[in-house]
Amino acid sequence: MVIHPDLGSQLVNLCSALLLLTCFAIIAQRRLSACVDLFALQSVFLAVTAALVAFLTGAHHIYIAAALTVVIKVIILPRILKAVIERLNVKRELVLNINIPSSLLICGALVILAFYITQPIISLGFLLTQDSLAIALSIVLIGFFIMIARKKAVTQVIGFLVIENGLFLGATAAAYGMPLIVELGVFFDILVAGLIIGVYTHRLQDTFDSVDTSKLTGLKE
Amino acid sequence: MASALIILIAAPLVSGLLSLAVRTRPVMERLQMGHAAVLWAAMAAVVAGVAAGDDVSFGSLLHADALSAFMDLMLAFVGGTALVYAVGYMGEKLSRGPVEFPRYRRFFVYFDLFLFAMVFAVNLDNIALMWIAVEGSTISAALSVGFDRTKAALEAGWKYIILNFVGITLALFGTVLVYYASEHVLGVSMEALKWSVLARAAGSLNPVVLKMAFVFVMIGYGTKAGVAPMHTWLPDAHAEAPTPISAVLSGLMLNLGLYAVLRLKTIVDPAVGPEFAGSIMVGLGLLSMTIAATFLLIQRDYKRLFAYSSIEHVGIVLVGFGVGGAAGVFGGLFHMINHALAKSTAFYAAGRVLLRYGHKNIDGVTGLLRQMPLVGGAMLLAALALAGMPPFGLFISEILIATGAYDKRPWVAYAFLLLLVVAFAALVYQVFRMVLGEPKETGVPMTPGGGRFTDFALAANLVAMGYIGIHMPGFLRALFIPMTRVFHVLGEIP
Repeated sequence: MVIHPDLGSQLVNLCSALLLLTCFAIIAQRRLSACVDLFALQSVFLAVTAALVAFLTGAHHIYIAAALTVVIKVIILPRILKAVIERLNVKRELVLNINIPSSLLICGALVILAFYITQPIISLGFLLTQDSLAIALSIVLIGFFIMIARKKAVTQVIGFLVIENGLFLGATAAAYGMPLIVELGVFFDILVAGLIIGVYTHRLQDTFDSVDTSKLTGLKE
Repeated sequence: MASALIILIAAPLVSGLLSLAVRTRPVMERLQMGHAAVLWAAMAAVVAGVAAGDDVSFGSLLHADALSAFMDLMLAFVGGTALVYAVGYMGEKLSRGPVEFPRYRRFFVYFDLFLFAMVFAVNLDNIALMWIAVEGSTISAALSVGFDRTKAALEAGWKYIILNFVGITLALFGTVLVYYASEHVLGVSMEALKWSVLARAAGSLNPVVLKMAFVFVMIGYGTKAGVAPMHTWLPDAHAEAPTPISAVLSGLMLNLGLYAVLRLKTIVDPAVGPEFAGSIMVGLGLLSMTIAATFLLIQRDYKRLFAYSSIEHVGIVLVGFGVGGAAGVFGGLFHMINHALAKSTAFYAAGRVLLRYGHKNIDGVTGLLRQMPLVGGAMLLAALALAGMPPFGLFISEILIATGAYDKRPWVAYAFLLLLVVAFAALVYQVFRMVLGEPKETGVPMTPGGGRFTDFALAANLVAMGYIGIHMPGFLRALFIPMTRVFHVLGEIP
């Protein structure tokens, strides 16, 4: 089956846009476990985008990266996070530093900023994935915003993972993926990082009786 | 020579894995002492090989040029003394009871893996694989920072994890951008990620992409290096981590972050000119020095005091490389190694004080020179070195950087010297309060089992610090000469 290049690039754009959309859904979501589900959904879109790029370009190693995304980011990490939430009993509403309507507005501004920053270098890219680079940077910036604007340790972890998703989209878009050995190493690191963050949230809960990071204020100056 | 390089990288990994199986303290002590000895021997062989003029490489993966060998020298020497120190320090904790054996063992596993990741990172000839190794060092250090499981240690550990993981992620984005630029010139392949290939092709890479990449990498690895304003994890982590880890974080991990930034700078400069990266580095360097000098004055905790001093010294190194030229670059390099030695000495001494009194309060510590002559003396000498007094190397490097800055941008030199004076006064004042006078508390003296290891580590560092300060050794000069090519500087080593 041969797909017309225009159609291919539009499909990639569609998938990248869905990734961005789930970011906004995460921002607008108040329930913690729903945030984890949305992150898993976003990772599904990421895997589909990667598989699509692999199919359209014939770069088969991206299939492996897509499969790893499914295993690690759709299955393993959400399970770990759910287990943490279960154990900590923090299903209640999120603690927000910034309310939802202003958060959405700020994120809209971040998207515009990302498109503005990447404008001068976008023409260098491959035709197929040109616009995904700007979307990738938007997702990275929104991930940052989630880490800053939400107080619970678990949401900060979700922010970190959203940044990772944005980066992975960026690598796929900008360079049709890094060489396989690099991708494997990156996945391994992310998995270990996720596990360690999980361990730390447990310890925080045990010691502080809370995962509200605004209570971490003992160390100053 | 390639075998020496492999031994140097494999030793910490093997030692870390063997540690898992250790059941008694004497065996662990022998294992880690052997590990330190192997590190030193392998490092000496690699440095000798590169100093003789041949880069050491193995396959297409590992490549040690002069800059890598310089980092190896620092990592293996200070890493080795830190291992010896850790054997004494953790042994003392074990015999006094707060740390039970399984955690004692786990400490060395984390520590060895941390060293392994750092040594691996500086010898990899690949920008993306280097990222993976640096991330590995971030992860293994995360486990060590929260080791004590007190509230403060957990808080420090959490801050460390969040800031550094985000930082390292940004560095990955920068790395992807470098690949984005290089694959257009070099094709989609591993070649397009190799430092040695990138260095040759640097001039033909797209300048706009490289500028963006440098900004991301500067913020990303800069977080790891403790550059202001991304430094906020650093004082907490240095204060709350077990002291051997504090010494390695400050002496080695910050330099690893700087190394990553400098490597990229050598690629970015030929494409966009030295002004772009240089101005960013000078700006961040002066900001770091300003913040550090201010906080040095008001510190009440001696481990935080030395932590803020580290931020100051990272700032000094950035100013050095930022102004560039032979004086700036060699000043920066010489500063890195001298700071690694002096700061780890200061932390070794601080750890002994902490073991004795059990608190980190500057006001509660007096008369160290009388009560513990070696520890007090080492802390005094390290503080004088860190403050920039002759005859120590940091004096020479600071003068070099100041003259380099004066030639390029005089106002940078004025600001630099002013901040040095403030930091000098603050650090010397605080440390004098601790080492002089009459001892107030008796505290708990070290057992001989822990004391001799820590004494040895202190003495080894002091000797090395004095040695390279008074006379620059031949092997160091031989490493500096080929670095004129790496950093594109014209002119003689001052």
